[in-house]
Order: sequence, then structure tokens, then C-alpha cells
Amino acid sequence: MSVLLTGEQRKPFSGSQTARWLLAGGLPLMVVAVGIAALGIGRYSVPPEQVYRILLATVLPIEPTWSETDARVVILLRGPRVILSMLVGGGLALSGAVLQGVFRNPLVGPQILGVSSGAAFGGALAILFGLGWVFLVGSALACGILALVIVYAMSLVDGRTPILMLVLAGVVTSAFFTALVSVLTYVADPYSRLPAIVFWLMGSLATATYPRVVPAALPVLIGGGLILLLRWRLNILSLGEEEAAALGVRVQPLRWLLLVAVAAIVAGAVAVSGVVGWVGLVVPHLARMWVGPDHRVLLPVTLLLGAAYLTIIDTLARSLTPAEIPLGILTALVGAPVFFVLLRRTRGRGWVDA
Amino acid sequence: MFRRLPFALTLLTLLAACGGQSAADETVAPITAQTAAITVTDQRNTTLTLNQPAERIVTIPIPAAALMMAVDGSAERLVGIHPSSAQAIEGEILGEIFPEARTIARDVVSEGFAPNVESILALGPDVVIQWGNRGSDLIEPLENVGLNVVGLYYGTQEDLETWITLFGNLIGKPERAARIIDWQRNSLAEIRMQAEMITDERPSILYFNRLRDEMRVAGSSTYNDFYIQLVGGVNPAAEITDFATVNAEQVLAWNPDIILIGNFDDATPDDVYQNPLWQDMRAVVNQRVYKVPLGGYRWDPPNQESPLLWRWLAVLAFPDVYLFDLRADIRANYQLLYDYTPTDAQIDQILHIDLNREAATYERFINR
Repeated sequence: MSVLLTGEQRKPFSGSQTARWLLAGGLPLMVVAVGIAALGIGRYSVPPEQVYRILLATVLPIEPTWSETDARVVILLRGPRVILSMLVGGGLALSGAVLQGVFRNPLVGPQILGVSSGAAFGGALAILFGLGWVFLVGSALACGILALVIVYAMSLVDGRTPILMLVLAGVVTSAFFTALVSVLTYVADPYSRLPAIVFWLMGSLATATYPRVVPAALPVLIGGGLILLLRWRLNILSLGEEEAAALGVRVQPLRWLLLVAVAAIVAGAVAVSGVVGWVGLVVPHLARMWVGPDHRVLLPVTLLLGAAYLTIIDTLARSLTPAEIPLGILTALVGAPVFFVLLRRTRGRGWVDA
Repeated sequence: MFRRLPFALTLLTLLAACGGQSAADETVAPITAQTAAITVTDQRNTTLTLNQPAERIVTIPIPAAALMMAVDGSAERLVGIHPSSAQAIEGEILGEIFPEARTIARDVVSEGFAPNVESILALGPDVVIQWGNRGSDLIEPLENVGLNVVGLYYGTQEDLETWITLFGNLIGKPERAARIIDWQRNSLAEIRMQAEMITDERPSILYFNRLRDEMRVAGSSTYNDFYIQLVGGVNPAAEITDFATVNAEQVLAWNPDIILIGNFDDATPDDVYQNPLWQDMRAVVNQRVYKVPLGGYRWDPPNQESPLLWRWLAVLAFPDVYLFDLRADIRANYQLLYDYTPTDAQIDQILHIDLNREAATYERFINR
């Protein structure tokens, strides 16, 4: 991997056929390995060999050699948390990569559309009124989608949505919903509601359960699947509007299809985990430094890297200290320096050919 | 000290100069016998002088409102309280003891504990009780407009006793304050003495400050840690300093004997009993999960009724060692604190009998 990161990699991923196969087979295997390792790590100690047995026992008839509690910790507690961290990490990273391609700007992240802040407002609103997590997730999803509708309405000029208007509308919407979130923290009871809102906004998967996997899984699987199907078209879109149109691509519908898919993923991610920053910015860049800017390769690699990355981060967050470390803090603390080092080493070359 | 003298003088002149409605009220009011000037030094070491006992008081720290009512034996001096203090009065027993407390103004903060200076000025308080160790933004805006501010520090039993003394001096009732402190100290000594007789294994007691949206526990150097150790228990979360959010797995690893659920969210023992992960945990198996009582204030943080919490926890931790009759203690000491005798139904409400009825040892607290 270090060879690939030295900056020699100028062209889109053009390794040998073997390297491609390694990538295609190796990366998914790595993600699975990270997932299994994460299931074996935590504050409550379950012997590693028992973790494998417990996992196998879910499909094979194995005589239990472990305690009920061991099985519950692995299956009921760490299980949904690892699945969620993969869905959220993969989804956010993929969203970031798509947005960077659509906007042709490396600084763009999932928060640019205002969907993150919209969903954050929806979630905070549900907490303020003391509603359960079903409402929290529903409200976050609804407000996230609402933010996208507002962005669309604002950026519409003569039936088209120019990229500049889109960015500005996104910034405005984002600022507006951020202000609304501030209003909620301002009126929230400092003893009962405010700590809950602040904790949720900082980002955490601490309350993961299987029922909560659904609201994250549906948008990520459907939106992510759609995005992956359209990944070669994203290559054309990232050439620029005129060029894409000249090549016969209907730019507006394609762009909005991608944006809706991204909005659904981001809203779903925020709904279950709060606002987790940096993943959507750092992971696509890491992937781009590795395999180059060709979206056909970049998007699947980003998805898998994102899933592994957030799973590792979340495992650290829940097992480093007796106290939970908020995810948003760790992703920034780990992400920012790593990103900087890699950026210096490659001198931003992943973008040269973009 | 000399550094502060010119400042205090400025304050006085400012007060005199801008004395609006409230100052007028005071001059009209008949001057009572207590005209001796009152000098108090708060926990920031700031000294203030009042010409007479404070008649109009604004409290911003949340437990301060209930504590002031206990020290005064009335709610009459409180003209403004924190909205969250009001919440612990409405629908709870303090609102029944002092019905007038339900109508006290509560628009005294703008956000969190940041004072809403203009509405506080409009209330014309003689003194404002505020946190003294949470940054100057909470205090300076008040002092800049010439208000007398008493700064409080939070956390220990000593702090609590200092508050009671301060409040007693401020309202010219130092004897009443001394009686409350005597009761607290005697209770403390009594429990310490009985704790020495403990020969059994010490149960680990975990306190949840919040449970529903996040699992927040009290680590070492918290007041909760203090009373867990006082009654002879061990705080499994002591490896953490202060309050921290943990996950269900960590709680499982600690495997506490007793779980206490605080009054800062709506969590109930069922939230613990019904968690599929915790089915084999000692506290669940032995039904030793309890919602902390809520009397004149939430019993979990330091408050005027803390000795009652110590006794409650002592009985639950070591039913054979501590033989307190808690209901009688509540009745006797509500007389001391509020000149009020609660009914059996009110005591049931204070002890959360509805939520704790089935829990181990709780039959000791149920009226027979």
C-alpha cells in the first residue's frame, strides 16, 4: 500500500490484473475481518475463541460452551453496533465521494447540502419533546429530506439548478437548520433535555439495537445501490456540465437522482448516530490517493474503506476507556492528522487527473 | 480585601442611583426590628454587606431554591428561581408544602445558567444566588449592573453545609441554618458509627445520573460516590473521575450489586430489568434496582434532605445493619425543614413506592 501512496500513482487505478483482483477480493475480506475483530473487543471480556463459536452457533448447531451473557454481549450488543458503524461509515464516505464528484470540489462533504443539519434539527426536536427513538429517527429522516426539498426550491432558476445556486442554497439551508438546532439547545432544560441533545449531536452509536439498524440500512442499501449503479455516469458528470451534456447525459435528472440518494443516506446515518463528521471528507480522499479518481473503482473502495474506518473508530470509542468517547470527537481527532500526513505525502496528486 | 473596597462602594452608589421600583418599595415598607447590617463572605471569597436581611432573593443554581425555602421555612423571600427548580416544585411535594412557590417568576436565565440580567433587575432582588465556579460570564453581568451576588461552589457535603450557613446568614436566620446543619452532621456521625459494625462483603453500588438516552454514571469525587462509600458500599465506577457516559457492556463488566436510578430523566427500574443484556447481572437477579426518591428536592445531588437519602441507601445496602425507620425520619425532619407533616400518600410519592414496590428490602419502607 505504501508504494501506491508515494505519489507515483498519477493515472486512474491502472494496476495489473492481479492487483485488481486483490483489491476486489481483499478489501471486502478486510472489512469482514475488521467486523469480526470488533465483535471480539470490548469492556466486557469474552474469550476470542468463544466469539467465533458464538458467531458460528447462529448458523450451526453447536453445543454452548459460553455463558448466556457472553452470547448476548456479542450478538445483541456488539452485533448491531458493528453493523451500524459499517452502514453509517460506508454510507457517509460514499456520500462524500459522490458529492465531491457532483460538485467537482474536493472540500465538499455530506454537510454541504444542509441535509446533516436538517436531520440534526429533526432529531434534536424529537429529544426536546421527549419522544422515543422511533420518532427521533422518523423526525430526523423527515427533516433531512425537507432540507433537500428547500435546497432544490431555492436553487431552481428557469427550470434548472446551476451548481453555484445549488452550493449557495445548501450553505444557506445548512446555516438555517444549524441556527434552529441552536434555538432548541437554547430552550432545552439544562438538567434533563440539554445533555441528551448535546450527547446525540456529538455522535454516538452507544444506543445501537437491531431495530435501529433498519432506518440506517434501508437508505444506505437502496441509495448506495443506486449510486453504485450510476458510478460510471458520475465520471461523465464530474467532467463538467457542458461536457457531460455534450456526451448525451441528461445532467439535471442525473444530478438530482444522485443528490436524493445521498440525502437519504445522510439522513438515515444522522438519525441513528447523530452528527459524525469527517468520515465523508477523509475517507474519499484516502480512497482517491489509493486508487485514483475513476468513480467506477473509487466508489466501491470508498464504501468499504468507510465501513472499516468507522468500525475501527467506534470500537476504539467504546473500549479505550470505561467512559464512552463521542464518535464525532474521535473521527476528527484521528481523521484530521492522518488526512494531513497523507495529503503531504501525496501532495494532493489523487486529484490531478480528476 | 482593600482592592474590593472601591468596587463595593461603586456598587452601593450604583444601587442607590438606579434604585427603581424595588428601592421605592423598601423605603415604604415599615422598617423591622432587624436593622443590623449583615455581612457574608461567599465561596468565591467575595464579601458583601446588606443593610438588613435579604427580603427579595433570586436563585439560579437549581438546588438553591428548595434549599432556601428549607432554611427560611417559607417561600416568601424567593422572587425568581431557575425554571428547572420550578419543575422540581410543581407536581412534587414542595409545591404542596409551599403553594405560593408555584407562582414564583422563573425567567431569570437566558440559557443554561447565564443570567437574564434585565428580568432579574426588574424583580429588584436584594441578592442573587449564582454559581461561583462556572466562569465569570455567569456573575459579571449581574455585578456590572450593581446587583449583590453570592457565588456558590458545587459538589461536597462541606459545600452543602457552607450553602446552608450562607443562606441562614443572608436571611437573618442563622439559628435555623445551624439546626439543619446539626441534624446533617449528627446523621453523618450516626451512619459512620454504624458503618464500622459492617462485617459483610461490601456491595458495589452504581448510580445512574441518566439512563434512557445515554448511560451516565457517577465516578469518583462526586457527591454520589461520597454517600455510596459513606453507607459502606463500593462505587464500581470509581475508576472514572466525575460523571461519564458509559455503554451497556461496561455496566455488565462492573456487574453491580445495587443500581440507583437518578431523577434527572424519566428512567425507571424497568428500563434495567427489561434490558435483555442485563438479565444475569447481580442487581437484576436480586431485584436491587431502585429509583432514587424525590422529596423537597431530588435526593441524588446534595440537598437539604440528604441525610434521609443516606438512611434510605444504608437500609437498602445493609438491611441487617441499619435499622432506621425511614418514614418516621421523614415525618420528623420535614417538621424541622418545612414545619410540615407529610401524609402517608405523600411519603409514598417521595419514596417512589409505585416504582420500587417489588424491589428487595423495599417492604421496609412501605406503610404497614
